[in-house]
Amino acid sequence: MGSEPSPSPAPTPLESYYAAIEDLARKIVKLGGFRLEVKLRHLEPVDEHSPATIVDFSGPDAGLLLEAHGELLNAIEYVVLRAVRLEESLFPKISFDCEDYRHMRVEELKLMAQVAADRVRDTGMPFPLGPMNARERRIIHLALNNRPEVRTESDGQGPERKVVIHPASSPARR
Amino acid sequence: MKELVEEIAKALVDKPDEVQVRKVEGEQVTVLELRVDPTDLGKVIGKQGRTARSIRTILGAAGMKLKKRFTLEILE
Repeated sequence: MGSEPSPSPAPTPLESYYAAIEDLARKIVKLGGFRLEVKLRHLEPVDEHSPATIVDFSGPDAGLLLEAHGELLNAIEYVVLRAVRLEESLFPKISFDCEDYRHMRVEELKLMAQVAADRVRDTGMPFPLGPMNARERRIIHLALNNRPEVRTESDGQGPERKVVIHPASSPARR
Repeated sequence: MKELVEEIAKALVDKPDEVQVRKVEGEQVTVLELRVDPTDLGKVIGKQGRTARSIRTILGAAGMKLKKRFTLEILE
């Protein structure tokens, strides 16, 4: 290490993070006394927004991991991805999951976005969705990219930040 | 549990050798006091405290399995 010349501008490939991600996730599971197994699963990405790698947890403590909208799963993901210093542009490429929870949640969010957009189109009134993290808000924004009759904005701070769907005709906030 | 916090903190900071965790056992709650190099405080606290909140969530869940309550204090 150290002596190799670095071909600097090239972004770090996702693969180079795998070992560190797996290692820290397993360490947290072991030291936390969680009865879980950690496996990395690689997918053929459906499009440029979908994950290429799943950090998959399974075992008797899956329920604990998914409690309160996956609070523990989210926490482990956040800490691990910070610790390995994953480049922000790669965040959507990797997903921590357990029993397909995330995958199902994405489908649910897409459906929720469409239903809310229909409502905004029909009533002409803005419609706020519940608080979501950045990853979930992004799914909503992307899901409504192809709905010209509405536009989306994020509003609020920290854990309270949410997406508000507006009629496309209403003026954008500065 | 001390080791859990130690390992997470060491992974997050730039100066892992400066990470110290002290356990203070109370009757109801065990307090884990985390000390890091001052330049690494932001790394364990995070934007709007999100990293610290995540560590507390992991600690809380691990404590639940032991039927014990733990709190994390980050010393400045």
